[in-house]
Amino acid sequence: MKKIDFRTDVLPLKNELYRLALRITLNPAEAEDTVQDTMLKVWNRREQWDEIESIEAFCLTICRNLALDKVKRTETQNATLDDSHDPPDRSYASNPEEQAVQRDRITLVRRLIDQLPEKQRSCMQLRDIEGKSYKEIANVIGISEQQVKINIFRARQAIRQKYNETENYGL
Amino acid sequence: MDYKYIEQLIERYFQCETTLQEEQILSAFFAQNEQEVPEQLRQYQPLFAAMQPEEILDDDFDQRILASIEEPHAVKAHTISMHERLQPLFRAAAVVAIMLTLGNAMNITFKQDRNSDEDINYAAYKDTYDDPAVAYDQMEDALQLISEGFSHVQRSDSVGHDSLYIEVR
Repeated sequence: MKKIDFRTDVLPLKNELYRLALRITLNPAEAEDTVQDTMLKVWNRREQWDEIESIEAFCLTICRNLALDKVKRTETQNATLDDSHDPPDRSYASNPEEQAVQRDRITLVRRLIDQLPEKQRSCMQLRDIEGKSYKEIANVIGISEQQVKINIFRARQAIRQKYNETENYGL
Repeated sequence: MDYKYIEQLIERYFQCETTLQEEQILSAFFAQNEQEVPEQLRQYQPLFAAMQPEEILDDDFDQRILASIEEPHAVKAHTISMHERLQPLFRAAAVVAIMLTLGNAMNITFKQDRNSDEDINYAAYKDTYDDPAVAYDQMEDALQLISEGFSHVQRSDSVGHDSLYIEVR
């Protein structure tokens, strides 16, 4: 197996890690912190890099666990007042521009994804946005491939259903 | 244009039966301009457009990470020639060689001193003969030789004593 270099192999994963962390924490600052912690953790375990099958899956796993820890901590501390993810029926309908409407629809879908349970969210993030195979996702999250598939199935169904509901009746 | 294939893919996508490649096709299809997407499929566009990776971290983040881990990788690797690499070894070898040379030299000088001392050390002399009788004989022979030598010299020195010497004998 080839030698792993932090600069060329780990650091470029930052955006992928950031998106996953953001999907879990739903907070850009927290997500960035999570990625930073992930990088440090991976760096501190550089002696074991040779034994790791996939550094990417390794980083994603660490990132997800750290993000979950963060979420848990903030949940016990206080309810977040930052309501940036409020219900998706805000202003897009009032915008007359078709393009803006389209953009708002995309934002709506993103919000819908953010409202899913964490497992479905993470699975969907890794599959639909990062383009990972079921096997890789199962590896990262630590569940079976079958469960990954079920989570993604439910996520897609939920998104479609909620999206249609909002589109048809939510205006 | 026939969009049966795409429709089929969408249906299978929601059943989780598509492969990664097929999902890429869908994503590419909906990534095109909105106007190009046929009316009946337009409703799905936001669903797939939302799946484009967007959020990214800037280079400042890289800097911070690299600074915080004080990465030794960042140090430029400078090549060390064989000579440079072995230099400490050479030095050690040189030091050892000098020590050995000095040690040897000192050793030799001291040894020589001790040898000359030993020359006058009569106590260290060993007996050459086991039998006292033989030793006595040898000693007598040696003394005889010396006395003969003496008498020889005396004879050549003074002829006058010759007659006396013969008489005494």
